[in-house]
Amino acid sequence: MNTMLDEHVRPFDDPADWADVLRRAGRRRRVRRPVLVAVAAACAVFAVAPALAVLLRDNGVGLPGAADRSNVAVVLQPLTGRVLVQVAPWKGHDGFCYAVLRVRAGCVPHKARGTVALWPPLMGWTFEPGVRSGVATTIGGKSVRLTVVHFGGRIDATFFLVRDRIPRFLRDVTLRDAGGKVVARVDMRKVRSRA
Amino acid sequence: MLAELELLYRTRLPQFRRVAAAISGDRDAGRDIVQDAFATAIRKRRSYRGRGSLEGWLWAIVVNAARDARRRRREHDVEPPETAAEERRNGAVPLDLLTDRQREIVFLHYYADLDYAAIADALAISPGTVGATLTAARQTLRGALEEVRT
Repeated sequence: MNTMLDEHVRPFDDPADWADVLRRAGRRRRVRRPVLVAVAAACAVFAVAPALAVLLRDNGVGLPGAADRSNVAVVLQPLTGRVLVQVAPWKGHDGFCYAVLRVRAGCVPHKARGTVALWPPLMGWTFEPGVRSGVATTIGGKSVRLTVVHFGGRIDATFFLVRDRIPRFLRDVTLRDAGGKVVARVDMRKVRSRA
Repeated sequence: MLAELELLYRTRLPQFRRVAAAISGDRDAGRDIVQDAFATAIRKRRSYRGRGSLEGWLWAIVVNAARDARRRRREHDVEPPETAAEERRNGAVPLDLLTDRQREIVFLHYYADLDYAAIADALAISPGTVGATLTAARQTLRGALEEVRT
């Protein structure tokens, strides 16, 4: 019976297409987007010129051309579905390319080990294994939990970011493993803002 | 949660596609059903309350989508479907002898290698019902296959 069932529907061996899933997940929002943009553009025209300039700048920075766009992973803002971070393998290299909130993008080789934090917006990656959670601490001592996402495969790095607004003056970012042990710490006072 | 969904997609995709194709009765639709099911899961991920496993929740979405596709196919089928007797003569598995519920359980068990508890989770039934239904389905299939041999 097993053999006959095997023949009834042969196994699939086509490659996965996660980017297509993400496109389908965002389809409803994208359909509405032109309408929203048109309404917003009309308002801007009737308001002031700088507002229109901001709208046009919204196209912003996307994934670098060297990114393998057939295999893009994203981190979404849970409430709005907004794409916060896009990551994809780096074509022809051992590394990955990223774009953050359409304001910053780049490509990173795997040989650049360690942990990198960017600010603002607060986002970074680590090649340290086992990172499960992260916290950003402000100069005033307030702690903000970070979203930590590991992407395997050719990306093979763990990303961290803050999904909500965060006070401007950060002291450090601490990443921990599942047991709560500190795996990496970045002194944010030494990180130059590249807004 | 998105990362967990992606991990599930990347590790279990062939099984999801195979079950979707088997239930819908259309191999090409199987691919599409799974892509749409995961897209639905992403959109509705806030409705996942953590009752049961994430994989069970995904299987429920995939099975429901595949059922809908099968229903649509039946509604639009103008050609008479091949009868169970013809299928058996052609050496095919006489799955038409099974009820829809039996077929779904057989597919989830054989193609996705899910145990009774996982199938129960996906179909929102008890593990006991899964066991009894699977036994009945096996008996029906064995009987039909022996009928062909004699």
